[in-house]
Amino acid sequence: MIDREILLEKMKTSPYKPMQGKIIGSEMLTDKEKIFRIELEDKINLAHEPGQFVMVSIFGFGEAPISVCSSPSDKGYFEITVRNVGVLTDKLHKLDKGDIVGIRGPFGKGFPVDNMFGYDIMIVAGGLGIVPLRSLIRYIMFHRNDFGNVQMLLGCKTPRELLFEVETKDWMRRAEIKFNCTVDTGAPDWKGNVGLITTLIPNVDINPMRTYVVVVGPPIMYKFVIVKLLEKKIPDHQIIVSLERRMKCGLGKCGHCQIEGMYVCQSGPVFNYAQLKNFKGECHEKAI
Amino acid sequence: MKYASLKKTNLNNWLEYLKKKAKFYAPRKKENLFVFRPVKDVADICLEYIPTILPPKKYYFPQKERLLRFRAQPFKTAKAIDKFEEFILFGVHTCDIAGIQCMDVVFRDGPEDPNYLNRKDMMTIIGIECLKYCDKYANCASMGNHIPRGGYDLMMVDIGDEFIIHINSEKGEKLVKEVDFIKEATESEMVTLGRIREEKNEIFKEEFYASLPKVYESFDKSFVSEVWKDLGKKCVGCGNCTAVCPTCYCFDVSDEMELNLNDGLRYRIWNSCQMDDFAKVAGGEDFRKGRESRQRHRYYRKFKYPVDKFNRYFCTGCGRCTRTCMAGISLIDTVNALTPVSID
Amino acid sequence: MKKQSKPRLAFFDFTDCEGCQLQFANLGGTLLELLELVDIVNFREIISEAAEDYDIAFIEGSITTDNDVLRIKKIRDKAKVLVALGSCATIGGVNGIKNRSSLELAKKIVYGDKASTINTIKTMPVHEVVSVDYTINGCPVYLPEVVSVVKCLLMGKPYVVPNYPVCSECKMNENVCRYEKDQECMGTVTRAGCNSWCINNGNRCYGCRGLVDNPAADAQKDILSKYGLKLEDVLKHFTLYNDSMGEKYDQEFK
Repeated sequence: MIDREILLEKMKTSPYKPMQGKIIGSEMLTDKEKIFRIELEDKINLAHEPGQFVMVSIFGFGEAPISVCSSPSDKGYFEITVRNVGVLTDKLHKLDKGDIVGIRGPFGKGFPVDNMFGYDIMIVAGGLGIVPLRSLIRYIMFHRNDFGNVQMLLGCKTPRELLFEVETKDWMRRAEIKFNCTVDTGAPDWKGNVGLITTLIPNVDINPMRTYVVVVGPPIMYKFVIVKLLEKKIPDHQIIVSLERRMKCGLGKCGHCQIEGMYVCQSGPVFNYAQLKNFKGECHEKAI
Repeated sequence: MKYASLKKTNLNNWLEYLKKKAKFYAPRKKENLFVFRPVKDVADICLEYIPTILPPKKYYFPQKERLLRFRAQPFKTAKAIDKFEEFILFGVHTCDIAGIQCMDVVFRDGPEDPNYLNRKDMMTIIGIECLKYCDKYANCASMGNHIPRGGYDLMMVDIGDEFIIHINSEKGEKLVKEVDFIKEATESEMVTLGRIREEKNEIFKEEFYASLPKVYESFDKSFVSEVWKDLGKKCVGCGNCTAVCPTCYCFDVSDEMELNLNDGLRYRIWNSCQMDDFAKVAGGEDFRKGRESRQRHRYYRKFKYPVDKFNRYFCTGCGRCTRTCMAGISLIDTVNALTPVSID
Repeated sequence: MKKQSKPRLAFFDFTDCEGCQLQFANLGGTLLELLELVDIVNFREIISEAAEDYDIAFIEGSITTDNDVLRIKKIRDKAKVLVALGSCATIGGVNGIKNRSSLELAKKIVYGDKASTINTIKTMPVHEVVSVDYTINGCPVYLPEVVSVVKCLLMGKPYVVPNYPVCSECKMNENVCRYEKDQECMGTVTRAGCNSWCINNGNRCYGCRGLVDNPAADAQKDILSKYGLKLEDVLKHFTLYNDSMGEKYDQEFK
């Protein structure tokens, strides 16, 4: 059986049973975010799509959905980046190389990379949104010839919160990805843009019909960014978002992630704007 | 054999027989209300009852259910339940059987939920048809659940001195065939059954002003409505309505450690979309803020979303949510308020 | 295996009946298991020695004198972790009745002509004076919850007291609603976590665990009128345990 089949079989017979995930590396990225490199039992590959998530468990502390931030082309391990915001994530931050966590998944629908083949790509990342997007960017880097122009707009509150700085510089240096960054509030040594990410959009040079725009960030960001993208005449189904919701099962049952009739854990977390705009009121990310 | 007949004088003999076959649950009185309980003495069973406080879902989707046994160090997981027990649910109303059918659809929809399915496989359902309304809160006729519509192994109808038993599965047939005092129903008994069903048509009338498709339509148009604002003001957020609903299945997952702080169990516990933090994420954003939107969500999960997804209404008409609501929120009134001009 | 020194637990009481500590002592077999993990160094009800060196302080009782304030601050300085145990410590409890009248009047009612010799201040739950790390509500505390909190404490994770009403647990236990039996029950506004202990045993809820954050007072009034009850009558029950939180009640219900 190939790895994906093994995982699907596990999911079918015992969907609530986590696999053993061994931490083989970890690093603090900022004072709040830590990245973990995890190897599954029997070294099987997670075989995820960029944009999918896993349920991470520490027994006694609980389980939470966390985006995979490595690309499926990174073989033998996968990576997650975790912000310390609660009981489970606080405990996770105390773990290091050699420690074991429980992993279920991968869950949900990832970014529609097949549909995006041959298109120009614009990535808009706000704050922690860069985490799931990193899996897509790494995927695009690996399959670089299959995509057109790639550009990225990155925004966060302050320069200190910038994630994956070294990697971003690498992406820029290799000149394969146009890159533009802005912070809400600058710092003395900050030489880049200061201002909201929406201010970057009007000036970008894109061919709307040939471009997929992938937006991930806090709920409030989507509203304003999507308006700007619609002004740029990007077709609804070429605006891709990834939504964060509370989740307890990942199986479309527990009800926490539901947006109106849709279970985000199964139908999402990645949606296109054509889907989003049909929500009547429970999708806070919908454009205003 | 499709229809069998059981003399009422033999009912207790049959109950004694059933009691020995498997774990046996039936409705009985609790103070002024009713509950499903394991049967010790068949004389405790009440076949004339208003819907029990909790629906029988507590037996196939328990309030607190073990999902997983674990050890933190060294990392180890194991099945939490080795063997599921055979059980018989006796005297189930048609509304609650509709509830079981709804749960079936949800938990069989991929990815399947083995915990539910394992229990469901062990379950035998013996229903009893209501010949009159339990009370004013029921809306079973509007939902079409006042008459049997499958989903059971056996269905009993009181036709006077006998019960007619509709045999709807092999499992059910066995429970009828193994005792000699249950006979095939005679033609005249079947005629009586037909007459009783006709009389029933005069007793049960649709409780909503509008027909179901019209109700569905009104939900399609009423996402923003004063009706929800009113409910929001009344609701105290106690979660009674969702606990007692035969088709509510939201849950939380929680770990409990033993005192050695290394071994433990992972449970799933009933949870309610009416709770303040149900749709709140770690960052603080609450996607269904306010009791108004949470009550609306509950109604849409009965009359809109499952209809779109499974082509099934998830209201069974049992009336429990109205009966149990501390604040007097009535399902019939709410649905009627959404369809004020649709008296057709 | 290397024997690690076990955390030292100490129990202190302020204005209370020592009933919650008695509950703790009633843990029985669980208490023995617990002693594998901790040392109890100060607990008047079960041991005669009293050590002054401890890591975790369990506080029973409310703060009602100037001396109490000094004493609790000293304990807070010493303890790494401080646990408020029971209604008196967490919400003020029955002692809060004092706060409904002026201190002078309260002293006079209780101590008559000796009133001037008595030092007393308004009743306060512990968290109004020092920071509290863990809260165990209830009068008395509910043992399974005590065990859960102790586990959290030893695992170094917070214990979150439910913020939904007792009704939700009560319904899961399939109790007949007390209002159906014409009893005023505080379950609709009281924090869950006790597994509706009182109602399971035929009693009603007295609100010993304090209010949920969002008790929806207007809707509560609807409930009372539905069952033909008067607000004043019910407030008598509502204020039994929660008078030191009187302001919140006044805001919500008056």
